[in-house]
Amino acid sequence: MMDVMGFFDIVLALALPWLGWRLLASSDLFRAVVLFISLGLLMSLTWVRLQAPDVALAEAAIGAGLTGALFLSALRRLERLSESERRLEHAGKREEDETIPPEKRRRAKPVAYVLSLFLLVVFVLLLGWSLGQTPGAKGGLGPAVAGQMGQSGVQSQVTAVLLNFRGYDTLLEMMVLFLAALGVWSLTRVRQTQQGEVPGPVLATLVRLLVPLMIIVAGYLVWIGSSRAGGAFQGGAVLAAAGVLLLLANVTVVRQVPAGLLRWALVLGPLLFLLTAVACMGGGGNLLEYPGQSAGVWILFIESATAVSIGVTLAALYAGGRPPAPSAPEKDNEEGPGSGVDKGGKA
Amino acid sequence: MSGLYSLAALCLLLAVLAGLVRILRGPTEADSMLAAQLFGTCGVAILLLLSKGLDWVVLQDIALVFALLAALAAVAFALRTWGGTER
Repeated sequence: MMDVMGFFDIVLALALPWLGWRLLASSDLFRAVVLFISLGLLMSLTWVRLQAPDVALAEAAIGAGLTGALFLSALRRLERLSESERRLEHAGKREEDETIPPEKRRRAKPVAYVLSLFLLVVFVLLLGWSLGQTPGAKGGLGPAVAGQMGQSGVQSQVTAVLLNFRGYDTLLEMMVLFLAALGVWSLTRVRQTQQGEVPGPVLATLVRLLVPLMIIVAGYLVWIGSSRAGGAFQGGAVLAAAGVLLLLANVTVVRQVPAGLLRWALVLGPLLFLLTAVACMGGGGNLLEYPGQSAGVWILFIESATAVSIGVTLAALYAGGRPPAPSAPEKDNEEGPGSGVDKGGKA
Repeated sequence: MSGLYSLAALCLLLAVLAGLVRILRGPTEADSMLAAQLFGTCGVAILLLLSKGLDWVVLQDIALVFALLAALAAVAFALRTWGGTER
């Protein structure tokens, strides 16, 4: 049994860097995207083998699911812009690419290789050195966390660290995500599409089946996060997947979401998190020091709110722009790569 | 018995690697995409087998997320390749 799993690990460890290299070295964008999706899958399996199911869950949702769709939609938009004829085959395009680089580029290569190799070695050495310097690196912080689990309010150690012991970090991460959405929104508006167009029957059925299921699973992941792998981020990512699917299908419901509601959903998580953190100080405690035995309730409350916001934020990032002005209620709210997407192929 | 599950998981991992040939070779983009979709299916199977073999229930959740989100890339691909260009 152990031997088989050992062999499994070896295959995984060999395949991962090779796949990563092929992905980076690929001259064809589409193939790189497909390789990226595959890499996400192997990465998730690797996290499982490293006994980190929380990370594996996040990687499964983000790496293999959301990012793949994001890249494919971005690629689609790029191709439209450049009027590329790379439609169904990638063979022709590749030859063209290889004729383009002039001899000049080849000449600069050895120096660049040596330099990046040198920097890489320095970086790895620095990383190793700093790991040795870190206090607690010897035995890890596991025992310290395990010792405090009683007052964390949850059973999952990861959730305890993320939302109780180091809640401050998570609060800042939420702000970073919020800023990312603000950044995208400040760049552009989403593109308009024609209304009243329906997705094809296959896509419509898929949406009808999958979206409710995704929402249920998102809620399940948030709930289960208090006792084992799961949590706001994983739940939010699955929720975002539902949003992306709706955007892809360009269903009418998505367009009828008022922009104001969208903004509130975006702010909900960071705002409630921040208010809770400050409210904790009202009782004489420190920032994010949940009063008494109520930590579990507070954590679930914050996680539910942040999951909604993470879901909306990620979906908004996918849409790639702020909704049109509220003064134009007829216009679409969340469009983007999904907007250019014209309804279910050959309906 | 758990050894059997691990062995099956290993076989599926090797099958995934064999599928990489289709991604790298093509010949069409649809072949690459379908190979990636096959990876998703294999990944779900591997996770479920490991969940049985290692007696670790959490892996079923990961398999669930995989299964749910695998369709997303396929939809994006289908729209990209066959979605209307005329509009």
